[in-house]
Amino acid sequence: MSNALQTNSNSQFDVCIVGSGAGAGPIAYELTKAGFSVVVLEKGNWFTEEDFVKDEQLARHRVFRSQIEDERHVLEEPTVDGKWSSDTSAQFWGGNIVGGASNFMSGYFHRLKPQDFRLVSEFGAIEGANTVDWPISYADLEPYYAKVEQIVGVSGRVVQHPHLEPRSTPDYPLPPTAEHPIAAKFDLACKSLKLHPLPMARGILSVPLNGRKSCEYSGYCGSYGCHSGAKASSRAALLNDAVATGRCKIVTQAKVYRLNTNGAGEVSSASYFDARGKSIDISARLFVVACYSIESARLLLASKGEKHPNGIGNRYDQVGKNLHCCAGGTGHGVFKLDRLAPDVASRLKIRGPFFNRALQDWYVIHDKDAFDKPVKGGTLDFVFDPPSPTAEANSLKWQRGNLLWGTPLKQRLKAHFTQSRDFKFEVFCDWLTNDECYVSLDPDEKDKWGQAVAKVRAGFHPHDLKVAQYLVDKGVEVMKAMGADEAWGNVFTSPTSNLVAGGCRFGDDPKISVLDKNCRVHDCANLYVSDGSFMPNGGSVTPTLTIYANAFRVADKMIEHLGGYRAELG
Amino acid sequence: MARIRAAVTKVERFPHSDQKQVGEQVVDGSPNTTKGHECLSSVSAPLQPLFAYASGLSRRDFLKRTGAATILLSVLGAKPSLLAAKETEPFSIHSKPDNFDVITHAIVETVQMHLFPDDGDGPSAKDLNADRYLLWALDDPGNIEDGDRDFIIQGAAWLEDLADTELKQSFLVLDWSAQAALLTRIANSRAGENWLSLLLYYLLEALTLDPIYGGNPDGVGWQWLEHQSGFPRPMVGKTYLDF
Ligand SMILES: Cc1cc2nc3c(=O)[nH]c(=O)nc-3n(C[C@H](O)[C@H](O)[C@H](O)COP(=O)(O)OP(=O)(O)OC[C@H]3O[C@@H](n4cnc5c(N)ncnc54)[C@H](O)[C@@H]3O)c2cc1C
Ligand code: SF4
Repeated sequence: MSNALQTNSNSQFDVCIVGSGAGAGPIAYELTKAGFSVVVLEKGNWFTEEDFVKDEQLARHRVFRSQIEDERHVLEEPTVDGKWSSDTSAQFWGGNIVGGASNFMSGYFHRLKPQDFRLVSEFGAIEGANTVDWPISYADLEPYYAKVEQIVGVSGRVVQHPHLEPRSTPDYPLPPTAEHPIAAKFDLACKSLKLHPLPMARGILSVPLNGRKSCEYSGYCGSYGCHSGAKASSRAALLNDAVATGRCKIVTQAKVYRLNTNGAGEVSSASYFDARGKSIDISARLFVVACYSIESARLLLASKGEKHPNGIGNRYDQVGKNLHCCAGGTGHGVFKLDRLAPDVASRLKIRGPFFNRALQDWYVIHDKDAFDKPVKGGTLDFVFDPPSPTAEANSLKWQRGNLLWGTPLKQRLKAHFTQSRDFKFEVFCDWLTNDECYVSLDPDEKDKWGQAVAKVRAGFHPHDLKVAQYLVDKGVEVMKAMGADEAWGNVFTSPTSNLVAGGCRFGDDPKISVLDKNCRVHDCANLYVSDGSFMPNGGSVTPTLTIYANAFRVADKMIEHLGGYRAELG
Repeated sequence: MARIRAAVTKVERFPHSDQKQVGEQVVDGSPNTTKGHECLSSVSAPLQPLFAYASGLSRRDFLKRTGAATILLSVLGAKPSLLAAKETEPFSIHSKPDNFDVITHAIVETVQMHLFPDDGDGPSAKDLNADRYLLWALDDPGNIEDGDRDFIIQGAAWLEDLADTELKQSFLVLDWSAQAALLTRIANSRAGENWLSLLLYYLLEALTLDPIYGGNPDGVGWQWLEHQSGFPRPMVGKTYLDF
């Protein structure tokens, strides 16, 4: 663990960033390189590659995440009888250390596509959904996608297909990561179905870059921290470089609980509790909030001031609204190894390289039998579940409602682990924003610092289920074509708690958005929000590449705001 | 007011279609299911096909079954809900030892052998050091807080009590099949099943966790399951207790 740098409360910084994850890294990286002083306030600790051993216990004991006793969320979900459940939950803490959840991501790094920026114009409004077109276009973000791919290191290979997004660079800067033999089986099956199998872009180094080692294919990737530095976490890929400029301070165990505003409505300081619970203020010229959507909205709502009686940016009651997750589903294909030739079976057993295949043939669905007009579809990613043998073994002790033990349990475990291989696909489609999916402050529940926790109401739109089911069925067809002995899939409506975005969407109209198109809060001139909160919709892919790209774009706007590059840097 | 999902680390995650409802948990007077969507996951790799939403499951059932699997690994402990068992159906025993005395220890060790016998295929509970591992794991502050230690001791005393009242013998001197029959019987009660399930929970940790924690000596469990561990593996000074 690195030592946290000491900061005294009188320090002045050009920029103060709250949070250190994917939304924060690009700001710290770009602003320090432009000559500005940056302080990052992160409520967790600072761990390095040496700490990320592949130990299931770290995750089982939530070592790198907030503990539910200390901090939690209230989660409300719709029930069958038309009511709402209400539980406290720790599921939204994806990673609470320097680098945030990006330390633990799997690094599927697809871009959004031009249609995602103009859902209403392209597909028309859907009743009950709050969809809007974005105030910027794909073309505005494209140079930043290219920049992220270069700087954090994205591996992949561009393959022509009907929904390929326009690119300014012909290919990814790094070749694809090593592939599992199952990928060849997949490609053949897809060709037989006239589909376009794509090597998946990953935020993982296939070759060394900037002092970071390339992937070592431990097979323990998503959910586990990266020991080689290959994973494009905000910490490994961006913050280390920012710190190396000498202009970036990372203050750890700094839980920001309020942004204080002055008579002009601008943020004058951020108040945080340090490790001992003492409140400390930090002042800066510009402030950035990047706490992961739910917590970002919570911080703005909690930051009441004379000019912001309902919280910063909340003049029109928009903060926390239009939150979204990734709608979709998952599916499996199980291959019985004893029915395969021994060499094929032994190759299927290999653990280490990635499956890394995606299908975007149905990113837009043109199927009159299923939908009366073209609708926005999604992506199918074919992947491996992160290994977690203990959880897996424990799940096998139940069979049809009964506890299994003794020899029957042993046989079941053995068969599961040694005689079959389970390959998986994940479906991503839009979680339509709606009036029942939002963040507010819970009136009762408090965290360990006595602050109101965020309440997440997670309502979904029924349209998402139809699209998800359509795509899941396609995934099952592919698994069958691959020769799986069993194949099935299912859609879900629970929030994908690790893939939340929105809540402070950007737009030109302050009445229905929180941020302007540069991600600056409409009614607070020196406050930006640079995590996934800005997204009016998530696209039909995981969001982190887009969060990175947008944060690089916001960094450029902030540099402009501060008067351009510091002269002394030339 | 939100109900506290008190059993958050004890949420039993069932392999999708093989689910079992442990029971309703009462925390603040209102019933609360013990099976949450604590983590989005599908680590439990079901062996049997799921039914899709369209195939007639109620939405709530459907939600419970699917758990919205995505990238995030479900690595939270999958413990049985002890709260439910304790509050609704306490063990009835005459006397309760408050620590692992010799008898309690011997009972637990014997039961572990029933749970994971030496049957000629793969390691037994003994080969896995399951009993030493259990004693070690029960000292973890989190597990103590969960009440696991007391529950294991209480269950052993209950089993002994039952053997004593019904068969007029100590569980320890019953022959193997009589012991097995008694275990099958207690599994019919919720508390008994939870007790066995909790013992299995730790036993399976001893099967699959890194040997640094005391079970799975020399990776004997991994070898049997042909499981390839990750790297770098945890080492002294870098176990979960060191962070
Ligand atoms: C297991 C897993 C797998 C994933 N896989 C993928 C994937 O394959 N592809 C993909 O695109 N995305 C993936 N994601 C999602 C990805 O990690 C997130 O989209 C991304 O990290 C979000 O960035 P962020 O900056 O909003 O939040 P985070 O990265 O979570 O960073 C927020 C940080 O802010 C800190 N913080 C919060 N509140 C405060 C406060 N009040 N004061 C101080 N600090 C605070 C937190 O401790 C945290 O460190 C995955 C996530 C997980 C957990
Ligand atoms: S598989 Fe590669 S990217 Fe993933 S954690 Fe291991 S070294 Fe890092």
